[in-house]
Amino acid sequence: MDTVALMVRSIRLSYQDNVIVDDFSLGLKPQELGCLLGPSGCGKSTLLRAIAGFQELDSGEIWLDNEPLSTEHHRVSPEHRGVGMVFQDIALFPHLTVAENITFGLTDWPKASQGKRLAELLELIGLVGLNQRYPHELSGGQQQRVALARAMAPKPKLLLLDEPFSGLDTELRGRLASEVRTILKSDGICSLLVTHDQREAFDFADRISVMYGGQSCQFDTPFNLYHEPTDPFVAHFVGAGEMVDARVESSRSVSSPLGVLTNDTDLEFTIGSDVQIFLRPDDLIHDDDSSYKATLIGKHFRGAHHLYDVRLDNGVVLGCLAPSHHDHEVGERIGVSLDIEHLVVFAKQ
Amino acid sequence: MAVTSSHQPIRWAFNRPNGLFLTTIIAALCVALPILVVVSFVITGVSDAWPHLLDTLLGRYALNSLLLSILVAVGVVMLGVPAAWIISFYRFRGRGVLSWLLLLPMAYPAYILAYTYTGVLDFSGPVLTFLRGMDAPTWLMESMLNIRSLPGAALMLSLVLYPYVYLLARAAFMEQSANLMEAAYTLGQDRWRVFIRIVIPMARPAIAAGTLLAIMETLADFGTVEFFGVQTFTTGIVRTYYGFGDTAGAAQLSTLLLGCVFFLVIFEKSSRRKVRYYSDRLRRLNQTSIPLNGWRQLVAQLLCLIPVLFGFLLPTAILCYWALFFAEFQSMWSLVANSFFLAGSASLFVVMVALVICYANRLYPSRWLSHATTFVGLGYALPGVVVAIGVLIPFGAIDHFVSSTLEPLGVGPSLWLSGTLVALVFAYLVRFLTVATGSITSGLSRVRPSVDQSGRLLGLSQFGVISKLHIPIIRGSVFTAVLVCFVDILKELPATLILRPFDFNTLAVKAYELAGDERLVDASVPSILIVLVGLVPVVWLNRSVNQE
Repeated sequence: MDTVALMVRSIRLSYQDNVIVDDFSLGLKPQELGCLLGPSGCGKSTLLRAIAGFQELDSGEIWLDNEPLSTEHHRVSPEHRGVGMVFQDIALFPHLTVAENITFGLTDWPKASQGKRLAELLELIGLVGLNQRYPHELSGGQQQRVALARAMAPKPKLLLLDEPFSGLDTELRGRLASEVRTILKSDGICSLLVTHDQREAFDFADRISVMYGGQSCQFDTPFNLYHEPTDPFVAHFVGAGEMVDARVESSRSVSSPLGVLTNDTDLEFTIGSDVQIFLRPDDLIHDDDSSYKATLIGKHFRGAHHLYDVRLDNGVVLGCLAPSHHDHEVGERIGVSLDIEHLVVFAKQ
Repeated sequence: MAVTSSHQPIRWAFNRPNGLFLTTIIAALCVALPILVVVSFVITGVSDAWPHLLDTLLGRYALNSLLLSILVAVGVVMLGVPAAWIISFYRFRGRGVLSWLLLLPMAYPAYILAYTYTGVLDFSGPVLTFLRGMDAPTWLMESMLNIRSLPGAALMLSLVLYPYVYLLARAAFMEQSANLMEAAYTLGQDRWRVFIRIVIPMARPAIAAGTLLAIMETLADFGTVEFFGVQTFTTGIVRTYYGFGDTAGAAQLSTLLLGCVFFLVIFEKSSRRKVRYYSDRLRRLNQTSIPLNGWRQLVAQLLCLIPVLFGFLLPTAILCYWALFFAEFQSMWSLVANSFFLAGSASLFVVMVALVICYANRLYPSRWLSHATTFVGLGYALPGVVVAIGVLIPFGAIDHFVSSTLEPLGVGPSLWLSGTLVALVFAYLVRFLTVATGSITSGLSRVRPSVDQSGRLLGLSQFGVISKLHIPIIRGSVFTAVLVCFVDILKELPATLILRPFDFNTLAVKAYELAGDERLVDASVPSILIVLVGLVPVVWLNRSVNQE
């Protein structure tokens, strides 16, 4: 059995009689970077607040490093959990300098160690020399890095990040997510990020739990979430794509409006059953020689390639990625074919 | 094609910016006049009595003013901060009522509280009669009799001025982001440390701003210190002007007082700037307030009740009792008519000028205008005594000049300006213009330029934009401006006392005169009227704050 740092076991959370999170479980290994990804209102922030100790549990338990944090009978108060948190609104103390903010949680440390930790963290977040600045004198990205350093300073056993990049502009976001990943990996802190932005989640996390309606749909690596979604919601939420009706022909093949498709492994469906396959725009390629024709009904120029919306003869609309120089007009009939090794198949709903 | 820049409000069709602009500049010059006049005496030379002032009196004035300011600062913080803290962080029975009862002492001018407590604590008054009957220790009774002293004055002023601190501290506590406190918890800090390291330091600028406002009012106070015989700058100025007939000396004392006020204004402004950094509108605290039960609830209720009890409930009950059953008072209605006529017409005038200034700033924004408007804002910090002296000196000089010019024409000497309501209204304009511009500016800020623009694009004329959009939107704030000016003018004692025309009495002046004659019970009639009218804006403003 793997050693587990954070363990959340079938917890239920509610707010004013509304159940926000129900029967949710999650385990993080030491030094692992986890992520809760989901649309707004899915309960991910409430879950984070429960782990931090600001929210009581209806049932279930939360353990950290083999010690109980929250159970039905017992709740360790936030200041004694050894859990750090980076907040959505950054929440730097406006009346304290960068140095005072970072060392805020180190009151019980000897002065020399405080200074050493401060220098170490400033180096890590790349803000050496700014320790006497006040928060309002820093840029948004710098503020966020100070908030991160402040939360890391007391060496928490677990670091929680509540949509920490949502206040920043798009470009900075992607860069900071990878940067923070590097920083946390080099410090070896087990962390959990909450976000609704899948790019941010991909940039940051080792494993991601996709949440919907207060429950976990799938907890897996970014690669598997994209290529092997186990749940229709995950398939749609992570990346783009459409469902197409199909029928299981053999243990490894299905027939679809675009011909018979063969999978690389055995399918878990009985032969002859109706299923749906999930097709992403990069599965459907533009091929002038193909015998399958579709009508081009929309085009989006993406620089290196075109994203075409095509309508199959049976009325199904799919996305199709085509090289940039294959420039067709809306209304044209173009040839398409599937280039697919691993099928994503769901039972027909 | 005429295109209006998207950043600017629409220009009026009649192309006369100068009227609005000029009015603003003139208003700024009006505020500057009393300041320039008193300061000019420093440059023009030293008065004959100055060495005497310097030797004997100046030190006493300065020391008393300083001591009074320190005591009031301590008093308002002790009364205002615990109440604000309890109201912001705890839930208990009566919290809602107490949260606005705590504002009511604002309706009291300090001098009326002083008259009331002097009457109550008189040797033959109810409290000492009772204490004698109980064989209370002598020191207790003596300390009661000693209310007419510097500490007594500080107590009176603290009881009416603490709402400034209470209001600002409460807003600061409530605007602190709950996330900041939670961040501190996740950094291993317990409740007490969070309070000491986060809550109090972050509210400090707001508490400082409120305390500085209270000190400004303390330095400006004349009625209380005069009645209690505490010699401060304000009483010194009046005494030098009337007692010694020394204009230059009075002006120079005024300049010193202005210097102190000037520093207070600077500190207050810098505190306010910090308040803005420290406030956060994302997540308020309210949701995390802690319920109190049993004796803790009782303590919370008592701490909030004490300031209200001594600052409002008790004195009001006594004033009503005296006014209804004991006071002998004639010609009340003519007095009320006088006061209301003066306060009404002056406040309307002030608000009209304020409207012009606000529209000038909106329609023709320029650096000059905004500087002039900021300068007009200083008026409220000027003590009434200084404004009065600063108005009386130049107006008197003009009267003298006009009379001597007209004398050959057979016109007898007269006080054209300084002895009429003109001087009084001018002084009110200087002192209370900010009150009006503040309220109207906040109203107008809700009418964003895009409102004007969309109104015009939807077919409204220039006039239509004002009548259909602006007036309905800013009506409430204009009304508030009139109301607050009205009450401030009604309560204003020193400027009215010094500048009123001969034989023209107001409620405030009458209360002052009766109290001066030791007819404290009779003074209750004008006093209670002032307080009751003063209650209106306090209740009105609190209501509109709660609605927002």
